[in-house]
Amino acid sequence: MSSPFATILDVLTRQRGVRASLIVSERDGVIVDASVRFGQDGDRIAALAASMYRKARLSARAARLGAVSFLQLDAERGRICAVGGGGDLVIVVVTDPQANVGLIRMELLKALDTFQETDDGLPSEGAKRQGEESR
Amino acid sequence: MSDDIRRWSDELARDPSSLVFLQLGEALRKQGQLEVALKIALRGLDRHQRNVAAHDLVARIAVDRRDFSRAFVEWELVLKIQPDHVGAMKGLGYLCFHQGRLEEAEQYLNKAAASGGGGDVRHALRMVRRTPASTAVPTVEATASKPAPADDPQYLFADQLLDEGQTALLLDTNGFVLAGVYLDVDGKNVSADIGAQLSGISEEVRRSTRHLDIGEWKAITFETHAAVIAMAPVANDNLMVIAASRATPLGLLRRLLERSSAFALEWLAGGRRGGDTP
Repeated sequence: MSSPFATILDVLTRQRGVRASLIVSERDGVIVDASVRFGQDGDRIAALAASMYRKARLSARAARLGAVSFLQLDAERGRICAVGGGGDLVIVVVTDPQANVGLIRMELLKALDTFQETDDGLPSEGAKRQGEESR
Repeated sequence: MSDDIRRWSDELARDPSSLVFLQLGEALRKQGQLEVALKIALRGLDRHQRNVAAHDLVARIAVDRRDFSRAFVEWELVLKIQPDHVGAMKGLGYLCFHQGRLEEAEQYLNKAAASGGGGDVRHALRMVRRTPASTAVPTVEATASKPAPADDPQYLFADQLLDEGQTALLLDTNGFVLAGVYLDVDGKNVSADIGAQLSGISEEVRRSTRHLDIGEWKAITFETHAAVIAMAPVANDNLMVIAASRATPLGLLRRLLERSSAFALEWLAGGRRGGDTP
């Protein structure tokens, strides 16, 4: 059965240098849907991306800088990029170090727009998370 | 102190022409809330333009912000209004000393001593007289009895940043602030809050990137509605964090991050060497 996010992930995975694309729950680091090349550890990517995104969001909140849009981790042999729209779900891609980050950023932001339309029918996790954080 | 600040703020809100802004500005300055302190002091100065205490306050805040030219102007204004103001003479003496203008520093301090300046003025005067004229400014700073703002780790990255909208923070592996400062839009120091939220990120990312076989991590950059933030590991999982306005090109932000990280590395290494020296 095809998930509502399959098209978004397909478009991202077709970009040059993209090794994996995932939809991840920021709250618990669990994969909601993914398109991952053989050899990539989807669970580990999801956990790391969710944790980084959450830390970025909370530190931005402490500094009163508003919501986090795009996040990028650069490592010696790869990059992880993520975008979120204020809800619980985050779109993540893993790329080669030579990949064109500017282009991937644009594609991720475009995917986020599509994703937010797709996500309308799903339960809102953002509200749940905000409730937990205020506790 | 916070009760006093609240009380003075209320009083100033009730009566904007009240002189309580002097106490409020000074209290905020001492707390390190320099931008708010400056705003309060300047607003008060608008209403009390010939008040020497107001000019003196603005000058002291300016020194803390390393805006030495502004401090100079304010203390000169104080002396025009009240030529025997000891605080202004001491301040100008300090600024001249800081800039290596030893003759002028001695003149100001002499005047301050003649106008009733206390033991600290005599001590400063002795030090100025002992300092060779050829002494480089950094050495002068290092030997000054009053710690220069540059000696305060909060100001460590002041010379690395390009404008006031940029800020730098060095955190240790537990998220504790080692150097730098982060003020929010109200001038409140939120460095510790940011440190707490980012604690452990360096180690966690290092472990994960190794496991994912993408090598050591070099930087994390993220964009928010108001700013762009970049961070990088510095020696033993310390974390260098740079924030700048959204208008800052990401390439420039990276350069700032690299420059500040290199500077932080030197500073950390220097500190350890200093610690080993008997």
